[in-house]
Amino acid sequence: MIKRRAPKWQRTPKRHYFALGVITFLSIFPFYWMFVVASNTDEEISKSPPSLVPGPRFLEVAHKVLTADGVYFVKALTNTFIVGIAIAVAQVIFSAIAGFAFAKLDFKGRRFAILFVVATMMLPSQLGIVPLFIMAGKLHLVNTLYALIVPALVTAFGVFWMRQIIDAQIPNEILEAASIDGASVPRVFWNIVLPSIRQSSFVLGLFAFLAAWNDYLWPTIVLQSPEKFTLQVALTQLKPLYGLDYALQMGGAFLATAPLLILFIFVGRRLVSGVMDGAVKG
Amino acid sequence: MNKLAKSKVFLIALLGASVTAGLMAAPAKAVETTNLTIWTFGEVIQPGLQREYQKLHPEIKIIPIKNDVDPLHQKTTLSCQTKSGPADIIAFEVPYSGYWRTGNRPACFQDLRQMKTSASNVAAGVAEGLSATDIKKNYLPWRWEQGVAFNDSVIGIPTDVGGLQVAYRTDLFKKAGLPTDRAAVSKLWPTWEKFIEVGKGYVSKLTPAEKKSNKGFIDDAGTIYAAIMNQGTTKYYQPDGTDAGKLVYKTNPQIKKAWDTTVSALNAGIGARLGQFTSDWNIGMNKGAMATILAPAWMLDYIKKQAPDTKGKWDIADLPVGGGNQGGTELAIPTYSKNKQAAYDFLTWYLAPEQQLKVFKTYGLFPSTSVLYDDAALLEYKDEFFNNAPVGQIYTKGVLKLKPIFEGELQRKIDSTFGAGLGRVASKKMPSEKSYATVISDIDKLFKN
Amino acid sequence: MSLTKEGKGRRKAPLTPWKKQQRKPIPGVASLNGRWGYPAIAPFFIIFLIFGVAPVVYSVYIAFFKWDPLGTSEFNGLNNFIFLLQDSDFWLAIRNTFSIWALSTFPQMLMAISLAAILRNKRLKGKSFWRTIFLVPNITSIIAITIVFQQLFGRDYGIINSLIGLIPGAEHIDFIEGVIPSHVQIAAMITWRWVGYNTLIFLASMLAIPDELYESASCDGATKWQQFRYVTLPSLRNTITFVLIVGTIGGLQVFAEPQQLGADGGSSKQFLTLTLFLYNQAFLNNKYGYAAAIGIAITVIVLIISTINFFITRKMSGEGK
Repeated sequence: MIKRRAPKWQRTPKRHYFALGVITFLSIFPFYWMFVVASNTDEEISKSPPSLVPGPRFLEVAHKVLTADGVYFVKALTNTFIVGIAIAVAQVIFSAIAGFAFAKLDFKGRRFAILFVVATMMLPSQLGIVPLFIMAGKLHLVNTLYALIVPALVTAFGVFWMRQIIDAQIPNEILEAASIDGASVPRVFWNIVLPSIRQSSFVLGLFAFLAAWNDYLWPTIVLQSPEKFTLQVALTQLKPLYGLDYALQMGGAFLATAPLLILFIFVGRRLVSGVMDGAVKG
Repeated sequence: MNKLAKSKVFLIALLGASVTAGLMAAPAKAVETTNLTIWTFGEVIQPGLQREYQKLHPEIKIIPIKNDVDPLHQKTTLSCQTKSGPADIIAFEVPYSGYWRTGNRPACFQDLRQMKTSASNVAAGVAEGLSATDIKKNYLPWRWEQGVAFNDSVIGIPTDVGGLQVAYRTDLFKKAGLPTDRAAVSKLWPTWEKFIEVGKGYVSKLTPAEKKSNKGFIDDAGTIYAAIMNQGTTKYYQPDGTDAGKLVYKTNPQIKKAWDTTVSALNAGIGARLGQFTSDWNIGMNKGAMATILAPAWMLDYIKKQAPDTKGKWDIADLPVGGGNQGGTELAIPTYSKNKQAAYDFLTWYLAPEQQLKVFKTYGLFPSTSVLYDDAALLEYKDEFFNNAPVGQIYTKGVLKLKPIFEGELQRKIDSTFGAGLGRVASKKMPSEKSYATVISDIDKLFKN
Repeated sequence: MSLTKEGKGRRKAPLTPWKKQQRKPIPGVASLNGRWGYPAIAPFFIIFLIFGVAPVVYSVYIAFFKWDPLGTSEFNGLNNFIFLLQDSDFWLAIRNTFSIWALSTFPQMLMAISLAAILRNKRLKGKSFWRTIFLVPNITSIIAITIVFQQLFGRDYGIINSLIGLIPGAEHIDFIEGVIPSHVQIAAMITWRWVGYNTLIFLASMLAIPDELYESASCDGATKWQQFRYVTLPSLRNTITFVLIVGTIGGLQVFAEPQQLGADGGSSKQFLTLTLFLYNQAFLNNKYGYAAAIGIAITVIVLIISTINFFITRKMSGEGK
């Protein structure tokens, strides 16, 4: 194939790059700002116009965050990872199986069931908190990581998403062919459906992980000892008595987001292509 | 490896890494220790003192868990509902004391009259066998009352008391032609009306550029409301022999007085309209956006941290009318605690006068233990940052003027409703009468359903 | 059990949004043993019913009571609901929630579609880089972001107001006290977080449009804009519906951002949203029964709006083809 310079009307106009540049700047700036605040002294931050370049204090602030009394930062990080991965894996598995059933299996009551599931997506989550806490108390789950994992093993959204994916990405003909060949339903699921939804499963898992990472309301209520805290709850321990310590809080926030960023660099492309695959017939 | 296997390996590696890190980060299992879990907010339990106690008692491990005030209240409520939780000591703020002291809620906490100190802290200066009844005499009556339930059960012991005085900028006062010596300044405003007058004078001397950049005499004129309310004898409830008290938010003249005075301050434009603890407020402190702040003792430390360059440019004068307060905390022991004796021993040590004096000198939290108010160590303590003002003496003077006020069940809620009402007037969204009427109807709603 | 509307000679439109994907039943896979459906959904449903549904059902039950957890509980019939309809705070919350929803949904959709159109270009350099950047805002903690945005939007010294101050005669905007300005601040946070994610969803849909359609259109002399309008947009119909509905369900339940801005929803409740209203009634006022009633109201509102959304987008894109 001869490489030719693209005709003018097909070349990307400069203004497009400019727009993308603006978006990139806006997306990254808050992170950068967190770093700036975390690395400067309180008075630098209180100046106006505020300092826009990082100061020398970052390592000092980071050290304060990691050794702050009652904040077991590394433990919190681990807890959050454990909870996040457990939730992600569980949601993918349960949602895939149930989503497959809703998408490709015909059984009585199917339509009512999916209607019910989607309808529950409209209920505000804050509504169930107190009964859930009482329930967790009765099951002796309070102050355990299980209290975070068990209620999040399945979500309506996960099942809905999987149903859409499977419906869109797996042609009925393939399933029919397999079944004619004598494959049982579990076989069909394992050998045909699962491999096809790899990327979308990965994405669902990643979003479940992220949701667990950022969740703060329920963990604050149900986790009571510092060793059990997840990151967002541990961050709330960084506040002084009255008022604010911006550098400390932003330092904590930055350190809480940085692992995700690093993870992101590795899986970012996967995530992106997965989001897009999932949305093809969205 | 195909993609599916690759992702499996990746996930397993991630899981493995997390578990390893978790094992490494787990705190080492030490000697047989008793864990004292304290539910608190901010720095009610000072880290320095915590370390000191753990040195005295290696068998005790103190675990403070911080929350914001309202989420902490929520957790306390939930744990009392389920009669279980890990907390051995719980801190609650005075505005919430009305809630815990009434109804059947005192049952959530141990009656501290039935506890006695053990011998474990005798060497540190805390005698054995002290119950709450014995400690009571260390405190001013009105402050002690805030931890006593209606059925006379002592559910909480006071920690610090906010107190309230006026921190002012000597350099800005000088520029405006006002005296700078603290005795002279205190004489400028024996009443709130005079305070507003001084404010008006100050603002009239600002240049147009300064006015545009939103400089003012006081940071937030709305703070005057709380100050005046605390100078009275009744707030929103009146004691009437029942535990709930009688609601008087519609009739108490103190409220009207506080409201009207604040509104006239707002209308006189003496405030810079900077909400306290916002980032604009921090910056404003550094830029001289306000010449005065109504400052409880704990705020002095805050000023030092946020505006170190203003060192030596501040001083402290008396609050108009005299006697002021803002904030204060109680420490309580929940009934479900499994370590009540250890908790009580720590509590009594922490709140003993010697420790409270240390807290004051290091962190500026003013002690509630009135035995200190005759102590030279307190009275002669001077703060360099504030032009060597004898802060111990100044705040003692103010605190001694306070009278007991009955705090009712929905104190905090009603207070913040009034605050919101004044906020509407400050931002010129509603005229004063309409905003006041809205406040009253909002409070009515609280009791309607 | 077919839930379709009786057509007036028109094509029957399904009443139920999720069925927009399925124009036909699945005849082909009838060969798969449908009875595997039950054990397949059982694990999901059991956990879902216990931990997802039961707490909510209990809350719904509480809505008919007056309940203070540490006080008394008495049957209250429909009073909570009657009181709710007369509560001016409820209507304020509705106003705020809808305003924030509108400000954060529609500009965002426009931006997302435009950005997707830019990213679709095959000749664009650095495609993966841009796409990855777009997801970065989605992984930040909401609490940290609200602090950053509050600094940016500060009334006296925030960057935005500093820029405004450069314009002669312009006054600083109070992004917390003002009704619309506070909504703008909250909407900005939400838009910032989600615009990248939605861009990628639209991008994926656009990439699925066959090139032949564009080629034949340009052969017919269509300009790029006309191609966009008559080829791209109609094919995006389903995606727009999906994004709109999911965005609506989320947008009408905005909670964390307003709460961080001011736990009471603002001194004149100018940014009190419905879920914040619920939360405050439950946890600040200890009125669990009333809060539960609010929860039911929210669900009903979300249901109505989602359905309206669905019908509107169906109608609009129906004309495009």
